[in-house]
This record gives sequence, C-alpha cells and structure tokens, in this order.
Amino acid sequence: MTRWSEILVGALMLTAPACAFTKPIAFANGTTVMLEYGAGTMWEAQIFYAPQYNYSAGGGHVEFDSDITTETVRVTYARLNYLLHRWNLESAQANVFVWGGAGAATGNSFSGTEFAGNAGGQLDYETRRVYASLKTDLQKASAFSIRVDTLQLGIAPYQHEYNQIATWFLVQARQYTDDIHHGTELAALLRFFKGGAWIEAGVTNGGKLQAMAMFNF
Amino acid sequence: MNPYRIFLVALLSLAPILAGAATIEMHVNGLVCAFCAQGIEKKLRKLPATADVIVSLEQRLVAVALKDGQDIPDDELRKTLTNAGYSVITIQRTDTPIDAIRSRVGQSKP
Repeated sequence: MTRWSEILVGALMLTAPACAFTKPIAFANGTTVMLEYGAGTMWEAQIFYAPQYNYSAGGGHVEFDSDITTETVRVTYARLNYLLHRWNLESAQANVFVWGGAGAATGNSFSGTEFAGNAGGQLDYETRRVYASLKTDLQKASAFSIRVDTLQLGIAPYQHEYNQIATWFLVQARQYTDDIHHGTELAALLRFFKGGAWIEAGVTNGGKLQAMAMFNF
Repeated sequence: MNPYRIFLVALLSLAPILAGAATIEMHVNGLVCAFCAQGIEKKLRKLPATADVIVSLEQRLVAVALKDGQDIPDDELRKTLTNAGYSVITIQRTDTPIDAIRSRVGQSKP
C-alpha cells in the first residue's frame, strides 16, 4: 500500500460510527462487515451472514505486503465460521470460534492464480471491564503459508451501559510467518463502540497505523 | 352512586389485571457487551406482541413491554434470547410500566 492509501484507509475508519468487535458471528440473521488495516503489512475486508447464532458464512479479501522482502500476496476467499462453545457467565462471556474456507490467491512470487486454504480459531473472554482474545489465522497455498497470530488484552475505564459509547484501551501483540514481518509487532489501541458500529485505531511499535472497523446489522 | 357506575369503575380498575402483565423481565447471563447484545433487542422488537424493549448490562436485565392484552410464551422468549447467543436465567411477568423499569435501571427514553 502507498502512503496515500494508508492515510485514506485510516481516515475512512476514523470517520466510521463508533463501537467494539472481533467476533466473526454477530447474532442469528445478523450481518457483520469488518475492515482491518494492519500497519502496512496486511489489510483485510470481510462480510459474514449468520443464519444461526452459532455459525456464519461469507467471504473476504486479504492482502499481505512483506516489510522484509518484496513479497505480496492477495487472497479472496469464502469462509464458514463456527461457534464451538460459548460460556454465558453471570458477569462474563467466553467463546471458542473456529473457521475454515477456500479461495484464490495471486502474488508477485508465483505466477497465475493458486488455490488457497484458510483455517483459524479464536478464544476470547470478556467482562465489562476486561477483555482478552487470542486469534490465529492461516492462509496456505503451494507457494506460501502465512499465519497471523494475534493476542489482545484490554481494559475499560468505565463499565458501559447498553445505550452508551463503550471505550476500551488495548494492547495487541501480533506475529506473522513467511517473512511478512520480523518479530512481534506491538500496538496500543483505542476502541469505541455503540449500537451496531465498532472502531479501533492505534499505533504500532514501528510507528504505523493499526485500525479496525466493524459493523453489525 | 349508581350501581352501574360502580360496576363500570370496578371493571375499568380490573382491566390491566384481566389484560395480563404489562411487562416481562428476564435475567440473562453473558450480557457484557452492548455491541454483541444488540441482537437481543432486534429479535424481541420483531415479535408482534412487543411494544418496547430495554436492555441493561448493569442489571443483567432484558425487559419487554407488551402490547395491550398480548403476551409472549416463555418458550418463545427463551428461543429468541438463545438465538441471540445468551442464556435466560429467569422470566418474570409484572405490572410495572416499562418507563418505571427504564428509570430504575438509570436509562432515559430514546
């Protein structure tokens, strides 16, 4: 991505309505749209529809741009998400999600279009004051195997009510395989959500923008 | 006082009771995030008997105001909240007006 496209994506996300995410399934008969800009090494757009509260189907597009080599990879995929288990506790909720899919990949280190498989999972736990999630997502083809592991830990400065804006402070640690990024990328994020809209944005330890917007309707 | 008038006043005073509960209050587990809980309100508002809905994360409460003379069976309420991804712990019918519940949980009318 160019510097101007980075600025454009960031500006679009910051002007989106405020809210909080990272679950691939919203609710039965709900649609989730997610946009993520990952510090210049990754950006992704997804849309999923959930016929039931425990599964959703849809697709997405992800692009990786190595900051070590000149490698770029683009994958457009269809995906099925499944809520393996949910714990609805008195003052907390925890979830285990898994997903899998397939798509078509192009890139500058191989010719033509390749079949790509996608698999991943997420564990999360949240109360109205603390949030933790661990996510792994793999895109694999014969020419590449890129896995992105993301840990997020968050704390809310106040307990939001249903009709209020929620505010969260988060730290994110992310690792990429396949020489997309060297080492662990850390980010400090600020997250807001209200109604069906969620946005988070922050900066990485490399001084780059990390942002996400999500909408449920 | 005219006996017919007494009968009419008595009948009118009994009307809310004869018509059934005004509000259903449900205590729900897992209510921690407004972004995720919006499915509850969307689903409940689509039910024909629903007049209004309140969700309180603090009280872990979902309240439904019913239209006059109408009700929603417990099975349908449980199914609606389960489909939104939550667990219903108790369901209670009351005559408390929805605005009184809204005030009790510290919310203003939208």
